[in-house]
Amino acid sequence: MIENLLLQVFNGLVNGAFYALLSLGLAVIFGMLRVINFMHGALYMLGAFGAYLLTAWWGLPFWWTLLAAPILVAAIGLVFERLLLRRLYDADLLYNLLLTFGLALAIQDAMRIRFGMQGVPYGAPAALQGAVEIGPLLFPAYRLFVLAVSVLACLGTWWLIDRTRAGLIIRAATERPMLTRALGVDVDRWIPAVFAFGVALAGLAGVLAAPMRNVSPVMGADLIITTFAIVVIGGMGSILGSVVTGFIVGVLEALGAVYYPSAANLVVFILMAAILLVRPAGLFGSADAG
Amino acid sequence: MTARRRIGWSLLGAAALVLPLVVYPVLGADILAWALFAAAFDLLLGHTGLLSFGHAAYFGCGAYVAALLATRLQAPFPLNALAGGVAAGILSLPLMGLSIRRKGIYFAMITLAFAQMVYYIANQWRGVTGGENGITGVPRGHAFGVSLVSSTVFYYATLVLVTLALLLCWRIVRSPFGRILVAIRENEARAQSLGYAVGRYKLIAAMLSGALAGLAGGIWVINHGFVGLDAVHWSTSGTVVIMTLLGGMGTRLGPVVGAALVIALRDAISAWTDAWGVVTGIIFIAVILAFRRGIVGTLEGALGRRAAPAPAVPAPERPLGTIR
Amino acid sequence: MEGVAEVKRSAGRPIERYITRRRFLRAAGAAAAGAALAPLSRPWRAGAQTAVHLTQGKVVIGVLNDQSGVYADLSGKNGVEAARMAVEDFQKKYGAGVLGGPIQVIAADHQNKPDLGSQKAQEFYDRDGVGMITDVDTSSVGIAVANVAAQKHRLCLNVGAATTALTNANCNRYTFHYAYDTYMLANGTGVEVTKRIGKNWYLVYPDYAFGQDMDHSFTSAIQRAGGKVLLADATPFPNDDFSTYLIKARTMRPLLNVIGTMHAGQDVVNFVKQYNQYGLRQQGINLAIGLLFLSDIHALGVEAYQGTLYTTAWEWTLDKQSREFADRFLARTKVRPTFVMAGNYSATWQYLEAIRRAGTDDPDKVVAALEGYKFSDFFIRNGTIRKQDHLVTHDAYLARVKAPSEVKEPWDYVTILSTIPARDAFMPLSQVTCKMS
Repeated sequence: MIENLLLQVFNGLVNGAFYALLSLGLAVIFGMLRVINFMHGALYMLGAFGAYLLTAWWGLPFWWTLLAAPILVAAIGLVFERLLLRRLYDADLLYNLLLTFGLALAIQDAMRIRFGMQGVPYGAPAALQGAVEIGPLLFPAYRLFVLAVSVLACLGTWWLIDRTRAGLIIRAATERPMLTRALGVDVDRWIPAVFAFGVALAGLAGVLAAPMRNVSPVMGADLIITTFAIVVIGGMGSILGSVVTGFIVGVLEALGAVYYPSAANLVVFILMAAILLVRPAGLFGSADAG
Repeated sequence: MTARRRIGWSLLGAAALVLPLVVYPVLGADILAWALFAAAFDLLLGHTGLLSFGHAAYFGCGAYVAALLATRLQAPFPLNALAGGVAAGILSLPLMGLSIRRKGIYFAMITLAFAQMVYYIANQWRGVTGGENGITGVPRGHAFGVSLVSSTVFYYATLVLVTLALLLCWRIVRSPFGRILVAIRENEARAQSLGYAVGRYKLIAAMLSGALAGLAGGIWVINHGFVGLDAVHWSTSGTVVIMTLLGGMGTRLGPVVGAALVIALRDAISAWTDAWGVVTGIIFIAVILAFRRGIVGTLEGALGRRAAPAPAVPAPERPLGTIR
Repeated sequence: MEGVAEVKRSAGRPIERYITRRRFLRAAGAAAAGAALAPLSRPWRAGAQTAVHLTQGKVVIGVLNDQSGVYADLSGKNGVEAARMAVEDFQKKYGAGVLGGPIQVIAADHQNKPDLGSQKAQEFYDRDGVGMITDVDTSSVGIAVANVAAQKHRLCLNVGAATTALTNANCNRYTFHYAYDTYMLANGTGVEVTKRIGKNWYLVYPDYAFGQDMDHSFTSAIQRAGGKVLLADATPFPNDDFSTYLIKARTMRPLLNVIGTMHAGQDVVNFVKQYNQYGLRQQGINLAIGLLFLSDIHALGVEAYQGTLYTTAWEWTLDKQSREFADRFLARTKVRPTFVMAGNYSATWQYLEAIRRAGTDDPDKVVAALEGYKFSDFFIRNGTIRKQDHLVTHDAYLARVKAPSEVKEPWDYVTILSTIPARDAFMPLSQVTCKMS
């Protein structure tokens, strides 16, 4: 029984890995741009389709799509940012929420018209098929891989933010927005790069999801709500918070599904309501954020 | 009232009267119900500065209650919808009472969390709500001895009720109470220091908003004869946000215009293209870029600032977690 | 639409107008072609032979389905095309004027929203003069539209929805349920798989009406066949990850023989991908799927689904007659028909036939002509339209998805293992709770 529980926790971590990548991207975008990127789920979907198309059209192996598809998604995101989002930075954040919602709707529907609703076939690379047995436990190899890539990506992001000059500015702008601007730092110069980076993380999550979830135009349609809730629980503006909360919610959902399956989707909202009422700045938020 | 405004209102009234001759009356009544829903929502967003992302809970609550009263107790039309409004107002007391302890994005997310719980209950409580299959066969019945089975008759009955409710909304906004709400929106700390019980004002505004949203839900369900889980789904909360923003928040007619636009689009586009989402998405984007304060908000700005107080020009620096 | 419109325009016109030289030649050519296809075709004699009384001078059929949402591929636009084909073929067979007026097909997208569906249905009946609405996939929309049909006293021949409520709690005089329902799916798969593969099941179903209905139907079918449901779990909906349930399934070895998923749309693909990832088949746990469409298999490929067992109302490779239809359908739409598309064709045809038999499109008389009618066509075999609950009972089929090596041509994904005769395939009348008003 204990092995079983361990397996469920492992699974929760794998699902948490997707949440972590998505909410990390959402958090840096929100922190820097004050935009709730409603098309995050659509870009995640484009990441998955990117992997599929790069392989189908040019025969690119899975490993290369892991790098190429996020770059492609980042480029698409950058075009939207420069052409559209930029125009509304000085308006209420609700307007960019609506703008990105419109974009998500259009992107998803365009993909439906081109590829159909049912989605496209996509399998795991041969090297990652099968399972790894550790004692009595059986881990599908691909899931271990997802967990490893996600943790590496989160660590890489942490390194970028913690150890580079660009990261310093981003962190400052995210966690103490007013102070940073008051100190005369040109925050706006970094906006395109940060947006592209956040979006690339969504693209990466999409590539990772392709072999284990249905690659279809609406695969990311409902993700934004849960993902943004995770950002809020973690504490808006907290980069570490979004990652850790992503994994926590993944595990809690998995355990919820063991004991009370039909309510598993509710876990994140119960957690959010409780956290916001008790500790409004979120699990990792600083006091002045609220 | 200036001559220009008088002409404007007359045109709107005329449009509302001939609508069922132009579009299918069920669609017309649908627009009215959503217009009221959006106006109720804007009472909170545009006038009090609170973004609720969980208004589906009140709309849905009103719809379910009205449907149950109509099917099980044969309650007649305005009564069942009004009871839906009362029920939604009661529901909003504990939910909004907790939510208003937070501001900005945090308020929005708490209301979302509560609405998701309401959704969960609606899905689980099958004996009452019918779960996914919903409550079907909700009768239109009679109102004051007149049969409402004809959709055209029902449209005009709805028009009377919605007009009264909208007038109430607008009256609230212009009352001293409404002025205090605007004061809270603009500067909560100052309102507090002037001795206003800010929390109580917010709660009353939230409950009025919830009750009117419930009334809108009641009208909506009697119009369609059906209510299902869609009514309490988060996308319903999202739709009302979109309507209000497209039309212009904090304006009197904005929510009405936004509701008419979204409902008409949803109905019309699929008739001439199968790229429903692409066209709708592009229209949303175009409207939001062309009309920075919503259609009505921007037009009122262009026609001189005689109109109802438009939302303040957003501050260049927005602290974390604030909507405005 | 063009094809139908063309026929419509020529219908009822006097022959004289055609007699310019070129037109005459073209008409003669068309007639010859028509004659070759269907010997009874005499489009120019429109009106001459008809004794049908049409209340509005025309017959309008409304196809209402999901054309842009998650179920768009299982019927959608192509489902509308199927209804148009039926009208054209019907006019080819009996003559364009057989019903004494034009026959039109109109369509709308309900986007899986019951309120939009009920509004469109009201518009169809009130404004567009629709006599019969067909397709209406998604159970919740199906029930809402059935209700409108009852209010407006017009027909609805539901093909796309699965719920048995249409012929039980929500049944009414004007609604018929055509192709399949949850009882049929569960009965076929539950009984046959228990007999053939193993007795011990684990059921996983989405926590909404369709899933609950399926869980209930499967459990009783499995028990009827002497099997046992070890565990049944309701999952949230929608759901991206099913590993929790797959791990649970592993712990039930070696007792467990079959895991049954009742998911649809996105979720069933997620489920199958993850089932393969955990290698459960190799561990002796077979997969049964409650509801599977040809379009599902086409999207994900046979490899992912191979060996899966399920029940279907029809399959295009069934026999020569079905293939003939599927070939024409492919030429027209570039896809092979799912059973919902084929069902739309058949339902449309049978509605037109019923008008012809009744001699009028008066809804009550058409209902009377349909009730108790026994028939077979390429889609329905040994069909009976039950008077008591308006369920169309017919032969159903137990199917297995082929291995990639067995596939001989594109879209050839399925082997039919056995036929479940009409009398056993559907809910027996003794269990039906329908009370027609």
